Amino acid sequence: MNMYRHELRCYRKNTLLWICSLCLGAVFMFWMFPAFASNTVAISEVLRNYPEAVQKAFGLSADRIGTVTGFYSFIITFFMVCGAVQATALGMGVLAKETTGKTADFLLTKPLPRARVLTAKLAAVWTCVTLTALAFVAATLSMALAVSPAALDWTPFMLMSLAFYFVQIIFLTIGFAMGAIVPKIRSVLPVAMSTVFGFFIVGTVASALGQTKLYYLSPFKYFDTTAILETSAYRPSYTAMAALVTLLCVLAGYAVYGRRDIRAS
Amino acid sequence: MSIVEIQHLKKYYGHARGIEDVNLSLEEGEIFGFIGPNGAGKSTTIRTLLALIRPTAGSATIFGKDCIRCAPEIAQDVGYLPSEVFYYDGMRVKDLLAYSASFYRKNCDARIRALAERLDLDLKKKIDDLSFGNRKKVGIVQAMLHEPKLLILDEPTSGLDPLMQQRFFELLREDNRKGTTVLFSSHVLSEVRKICDRVAIIRDGRIVNVDTVNALQDNGYKKVTLETRQPLPEGALAAEGVTSLSVQGGAASFLYQGAMPKLLTMLAALEPVNVTIGDPDLEEIFLHYYQ
Repeated sequence: MNMYRHELRCYRKNTLLWICSLCLGAVFMFWMFPAFASNTVAISEVLRNYPEAVQKAFGLSADRIGTVTGFYSFIITFFMVCGAVQATALGMGVLAKETTGKTADFLLTKPLPRARVLTAKLAAVWTCVTLTALAFVAATLSMALAVSPAALDWTPFMLMSLAFYFVQIIFLTIGFAMGAIVPKIRSVLPVAMSTVFGFFIVGTVASALGQTKLYYLSPFKYFDTTAILETSAYRPSYTAMAALVTLLCVLAGYAVYGRRDIRAS
Repeated sequence: MSIVEIQHLKKYYGHARGIEDVNLSLEEGEIFGFIGPNGAGKSTTIRTLLALIRPTAGSATIFGKDCIRCAPEIAQDVGYLPSEVFYYDGMRVKDLLAYSASFYRKNCDARIRALAERLDLDLKKKIDDLSFGNRKKVGIVQAMLHEPKLLILDEPTSGLDPLMQQRFFELLREDNRKGTTVLFSSHVLSEVRKICDRVAIIRDGRIVNVDTVNALQDNGYKKVTLETRQPLPEGALAAEGVTSLSVQGGAASFLYQGAMPKLLTMLAALEPVNVTIGDPDLEEIFLHYYQ
């Protein structure tokens, strides 16, 4: 418990900053929604000028942007990227900071098994991510209700919100595994950003090519918002893949860090 | 009873040698010095004992328990002071020490206050604002606050001024009288001589000698200096038992271990104008092991 509290305290400011940025972003986007909704004709004109691959890659379509849920399905992808960066950085940083800050000697000579250290750390960053997701969903939901109370389609809206959280969890564990496996990560945020953007580009290319098999390579595609909007459901095979990736990353993190040599600084 | 028992401990980092074959045994209640040049394997040995790294071969036990498998249980009664002290930035000294204490099954508040007072450590300061020496003091308090049965100190005195070093040694002796065993790693021989009962010398990943400090000094080595009128011919002193030889023109000095008449015959043949034969100081023995 002491470690969990300590880690939470360490990430208090950081998490607050992420929550504020994501919520402000959400408020701003929804604030623009009425402008989009009342100009669907003009927007479809603009969209038609884009190559089909681009439209597919970003899931662009005018009638989609015309409803508040459809609009949400479009903008949430960008928030997912941000949330994924936060989660990857947290998962990676919570382990990497002991090595770069040279505090591993202090912590790992305390009377508790390494697995317990990992559990406390994972629990702390998981809490940060959960709080962020809760705040973000609260912000988007209240904004959606504010700008278009009647037209909100609850099921896909909530499934997409939950998808935001799930994507964060997947990236949290990916970051966690990287933090455990890579001996020294000096600056966490750039590494986290390139990891997330890498996966995002893979997903976008997969969409543009229409190669659904490639979807398995990108966590962003496990919860494809276009599909959620159409079917009001997750696709079981991708959901299973999401669970599998998360589980494997956590197990890998424990397995590697449990036996890792902590070299002298 | 042996508090620490190290058997054929070997550690390679990939192809790089950490330690080759370390065998050591620490008895309960002793202050045990562990000396050797940089890179000889002191820290590797210590880090293996603390389960920070896993040995390639061999084993070590602390309190009779395997140091890797039972690490968390052992750590309850072990205090460790790393050679370089690093803590979480932004924390105050007292918060860091309270955090450290929270891992042990006892209340350490009184002990923290007492140790801080003895070492002149301001508990209210932020760790970022502390000088190197003051950080070291935080490290000392951190290592001793739970009154461990075994203290492992990796070059503990670097950064401490002579007064603080003295107080620190007093603290060590007090704890030692209460039964604490101390493993004191250093490359400064004089401080090892001041406080340690027995000393192990490590070189190239192997223990080359373990002895009491007194015995090390009294091991039959003689320090010989000699002056001659003519420059010494090359190889004049290349005899059995001669080590650490340095020759400069007509002056030479070396360590000698062996029969005295043989030495005297050899010296007499060189027609010296001046000869001294005496006990070498510990530094010289130490250097001899290093070379």
